[in-house]
Amino acid sequence: MPESFNRRQMLSRIGGAACGLAVSGSLVPGSDSAPAGKPRPRVVIARDEAVTGGKMEGHRELLRRMLDASMQKLTGQADAKAAWRKLFKSGDRVGIKVNTLGLATQPVVVDAVVAGLRSADVPAENIIIWDRFDSELTAAGYKLNRSKTGVQCYGTDAESYGSGYQKEVETSGRIGSCFSKIVAEQVDALICVPILKDHPFAGVTLGMKNFFGAIHNPNKYHEQHCDPYVADVVEHRFIRPRWRLTVCDGTRGQYNAGPVRNPGFAWSLGGMIVGTDFVAVDAVGADLLEQQRQAKGMRTLAEEKRPPVHIKTAGARGLGVADMAAIERVEI
Amino acid sequence: MEGMVEVSNSIRRTSCEGPESRREDAGATRIAQGGVGLPSRRSMLCSCAACLAGGAMWRAMPVMAEDTSATGELSGPKLKGVIRHKAMFWEPTHKESEVKCLLCPRECKVVDLERGYCGVRENQGGQYQTLVYGALCSANLDPIEKKPLFHYLPGSSAFSIATAGCNLECRFCQNWEISQFRPEQVESVEVRPERLVELVKARECPTIAYTYSEPTISYEYVHDTAALARQAGIGSVIISNGYMQEKPLRQLCRHLTAVKIDFKAFSQDFYAEMCSASLEPVLNTFKTLKNIGIWFELVVLIIPTKNDSADEIRQMSDWILKNLGPDVPVHFTRFSPTYRVKNLPPTPAATLDRCRKTALETGLHYVYVGNLPSHPGENTYCHQCKAELIRRVGYRIAANAVKEGKCPKCGTAIPGVWSQTQALAFKPRETRAEGAATTRPA
Repeated sequence: MPESFNRRQMLSRIGGAACGLAVSGSLVPGSDSAPAGKPRPRVVIARDEAVTGGKMEGHRELLRRMLDASMQKLTGQADAKAAWRKLFKSGDRVGIKVNTLGLATQPVVVDAVVAGLRSADVPAENIIIWDRFDSELTAAGYKLNRSKTGVQCYGTDAESYGSGYQKEVETSGRIGSCFSKIVAEQVDALICVPILKDHPFAGVTLGMKNFFGAIHNPNKYHEQHCDPYVADVVEHRFIRPRWRLTVCDGTRGQYNAGPVRNPGFAWSLGGMIVGTDFVAVDAVGADLLEQQRQAKGMRTLAEEKRPPVHIKTAGARGLGVADMAAIERVEI
Repeated sequence: MEGMVEVSNSIRRTSCEGPESRREDAGATRIAQGGVGLPSRRSMLCSCAACLAGGAMWRAMPVMAEDTSATGELSGPKLKGVIRHKAMFWEPTHKESEVKCLLCPRECKVVDLERGYCGVRENQGGQYQTLVYGALCSANLDPIEKKPLFHYLPGSSAFSIATAGCNLECRFCQNWEISQFRPEQVESVEVRPERLVELVKARECPTIAYTYSEPTISYEYVHDTAALARQAGIGSVIISNGYMQEKPLRQLCRHLTAVKIDFKAFSQDFYAEMCSASLEPVLNTFKTLKNIGIWFELVVLIIPTKNDSADEIRQMSDWILKNLGPDVPVHFTRFSPTYRVKNLPPTPAATLDRCRKTALETGLHYVYVGNLPSHPGENTYCHQCKAELIRRVGYRIAANAVKEGKCPKCGTAIPGVWSQTQALAFKPRETRAEGAATTRPA
């Protein structure tokens, strides 16, 4: 099936390619590596053995320190506040996309993100923690708030009718979807806080796949390992230009039989994976998940016929770097 | 004309009959929480155009006015959340809590808490559930011609209902605002099968039509309601994409009285590119319907440059003739830009004329054009003596000369269902259709 682009996407790609040429002096179509001459994207993996056990609430301060340290390492700033300010400013309206389907993003990890934003003087009212459904947010331990004071928290499907999706269909590559009004109309910046887990079709569901929760019809796009649909979604103008940071929650993970909670395959990375190149973060996350599977004597995702090809596709499109050799992986 | 009246009972933003086959503005069916809604721009334009086209003829002829008030009893509190009901046609897989759906050719494997491609069937802890049992998002009293079924009780009405969702994603769907959404994203009211049958019976309506979206994926509700309706002397017809496995189709047909299928194109590429589906299962459905013996008609929405080539229409007509016989009515209908196909013009009338001519030359007996009100190609002519039998103006019957299922001029039997007695007497043949054993897409 031929891939289709709208005019805006085509111009965007041509523009991106032209920029790439100007920077690197060469253009390699389909490359999933960082262009020559460009710095390798940095992905920070923060771990602490303490996080692997006990109640998450007890790790609140530790997680915040880990995230701040990650941000400093990521941005090269001397202090945490400066690091957050490097990416966010006081006037930003920031949407924090969590994942609450099955094994959910831990609220304490999101609290650490909120604290970081607050340190950059982003007003609490300008921060929206969101996912598809109010019900799933509540079940995952989030406290809904639409009061217009304090940090906001609600689902796109907050109301059964109207649903909080835009009325017009947006086309991006092969997808045709109505986007959540939250991502389309209510924020200028996005932070994705997925959870490190396995997926029966996409192989893994990390940052990029998490944005299936921004469209009204994700059920239509799970075939072919969700590829190229994941890349199509994140390439859209509502996502790609706004997505500034990924904080992948690795405090609790699922290396097989996801995305629901399955104690038989539960696993903790003991921290988080942080980066601004969302493709690179997913590539690192998928690699860690594969390592865990290998450690447990399991077959690779490819051998199970569900390779995370969407990451490679996103890399090939220039949305980020998917080649592990071209990613600067920093452990703290 | 449809779209003139919008009633508070009927539910969200639906538009046309069959997801894409025929312009049936069930914009008349929007539920606005109390009070009478305003007609949409499209509804208004449609209505005005039709009125102008009909002109003075309307006043002189006996018409079956659409009675949108008939669905008034469906008003009620909008549904909160979804209705859960045990699904039919699925099986557990060897993986813990995973199920495989056996309703449509996709055979979705669905893990816990996830849904199938249709978005209306969900795995809850290894049990597969339908989320649309009785969750009606659209309801209207329509002329049967609107489905379109031209050889089935012409001039009668059909109590037409829909639930959210579809197992295809046609880029040109006229009803995408219900068919491409999940149940909780569409305003609905709960109407149990017993209540629906009571309502229809009270209205003395001969038929329930499961339409607008895709009845395949509201299978359980259609199945149970159609069975009850039959006992109450009411027929049931589905307006479907034909993307259903043979076993559920055969079981459902025990309770149905007619079927209309949207034949998207005679091309695997078209099905893949424009519908995210496959052609073969649909062809198998046609063979199964033929084998069962139920009355069915086909509709082909002709989209400029996509499925309108002379070769394709000839090949399609040849296939129909060879596999289904000359008597299955085929409707070539006009496309209007919508949903994800807004860059193509409406189908020229000349293209529809050409398609009809090709199909007739191939040997098909009853070939129509649609969405062209007052076009002579909407009339029924005896295939033997060419006498005009049924004259239609839009969805209305201006004249019907068919007598006891025969041409009054030459006495030729006209294929179709001409009385409610005949409709309710239908019993499916139970033999397996040749070549219809496999319904899974390649």
